[in-house]
Amino acid sequence: MSFKDALNSGKFVVTAEVGPPKGTDIKEMIHHIELLKGKVDALNVTDNQSAVMRICSMAVCKIALEHGVEPILQMTCRDRNRIGLQSDLLGASILGIKNVLCMTGDHVLAGDHKQAKPVYDVESVQLLRIVDSLNNGKDMAGNELKGATDFFQGAVVTPEANPIEPQLIKFEKKVRAGAKFFQTQAIYDINKFKEFMSYARKFPVKILAGIVVLKSAGMANFINNNVPGIRVPQELIDELKAAGKEKALDTGLNIAARHIRQLKQENICDGVHIMAIGMEDKVPIIMERAGLI
Amino acid sequence: MIITKKKDFQELMENIKGYKSFFLIGCSECASLCGTGSQEAIDALTEALKAEGKEVTGGFVAKTGCQVLGTKTELKPFKEQLDKSECILIMSCGAGTQAATEIFEDKPVYPTNDSLFLGNMTRFQMFDERCSLCGKCILDKTGGICPLTACPKGILNGPCGGCKDGKCEVSPDIKCAWVRIYERMKRLDKLQELCDNALEAKDWSASIKPRTLVARPHKEEKKK
Ligand code: SF4
Ligand code: SF4
Repeated sequence: MSFKDALNSGKFVVTAEVGPPKGTDIKEMIHHIELLKGKVDALNVTDNQSAVMRICSMAVCKIALEHGVEPILQMTCRDRNRIGLQSDLLGASILGIKNVLCMTGDHVLAGDHKQAKPVYDVESVQLLRIVDSLNNGKDMAGNELKGATDFFQGAVVTPEANPIEPQLIKFEKKVRAGAKFFQTQAIYDINKFKEFMSYARKFPVKILAGIVVLKSAGMANFINNNVPGIRVPQELIDELKAAGKEKALDTGLNIAARHIRQLKQENICDGVHIMAIGMEDKVPIIMERAGLI
Repeated sequence: MIITKKKDFQELMENIKGYKSFFLIGCSECASLCGTGSQEAIDALTEALKAEGKEVTGGFVAKTGCQVLGTKTELKPFKEQLDKSECILIMSCGAGTQAATEIFEDKPVYPTNDSLFLGNMTRFQMFDERCSLCGKCILDKTGGICPLTACPKGILNGPCGGCKDGKCEVSPDIKCAWVRIYERMKRLDKLQELCDNALEAKDWSASIKPRTLVARPHKEEKKK
């Protein structure tokens, strides 16, 4: 079943992600893709994440397809103008890539080519509209296409952003621009997430909750101090601390599994997006413990 | 106004190392307010050049350095000093430098300043960039705050995911432009407008360079 059909069928969907490597050695990456094959409903391929130059998302999406895993092409507006974006989208379409996640993208100052000229000719809301337009057989300028695309397009949202109101306004704009599904920034406080969901449920979109594994109490504190829109509650930090150095990661995996289990059992959202960030091999373990496989 | 800052002195000396005598031209407008083209700035550079063994034949502060005809007229009384100079140093923005390039066909003209941006003076010699001269203003849709300029990504439809506690992902010293726009629209009771009207992708054709504008009525029209 395709990712789109799975979401529309009401199944609790699971996505994970693969970060393309920096360089042409893709052995490890293929190993991770193989590991997730048959387990996840789709695999996000990040687009030069954190503005660090790597293999392009489209090539890796194609490789995922060849290995029997449905990819979600992440697309940021940082590196391409509207011509480049549309051209790449048409290219992705003929390669058989069905899902695209539209994002504005981290600023070049966050990455490893700080002197680059950031593009941002369009941004996430406008990119969603572009995808919608290509699906309807027209490019952004209104020119007729010889063959339309058939993308299932999504976007991201940060349910715990501070302040939240401007983000919610943007969320609604994304919905109106054609977003069909959302993958959220990491969530750790299920009750807070429920509040967001009671708002988001008003819209005809599917929501996948972001799950990022906590490796240690240190990582949790780092997130709280540095990463916008993510808040790890103190009781989780205490739980990780109590586990001690040896058991911290295992506890982190348990926390992730526990959260997924609750999200599914209480039917809080439509699925989860597991971001393992360098620990792709742990995704099946989390899924097992969550009772998903 | 156009915000300028002094070029690094070593860089300037390297640029002009082939010349011995100089005439200095400042500008009484933006460059004077920035402290890069005032009489004091001319005096200071004159001293510094002399200390390097250079000769300064004279200097003056043009009324509006980027005004080609006016500056040409103002320069007439300095003919003798100009003739004695191998090189002209312009202490203004790049527009002033290029006005001089046009005036002095046969003399090298060098800038002493780097031109930075169109800015607002918020306090004495403190400048903020507020407008990028995009050619088609959208301030009517964004509560009078320009996201093209105030947001490092120029996002037109709301904050990115990097906004943290109201601060910008690029620097904690900058308030997120979209939080500012949100707050202002809220104060004006226009949040619904902000939510309903997603802005279209910018039409950049209005900012293709170089741009020209004839703002005066045509001669024939004037005669009528
Ligand atoms: S939209 Fe911004 S950059 Fe464009 S003219 Fe208005 S203030 Fe200037
Ligand atoms: S945090 Fe706000 S100002 Fe900074 S890049 Fe994102 S949207 Fe723009």
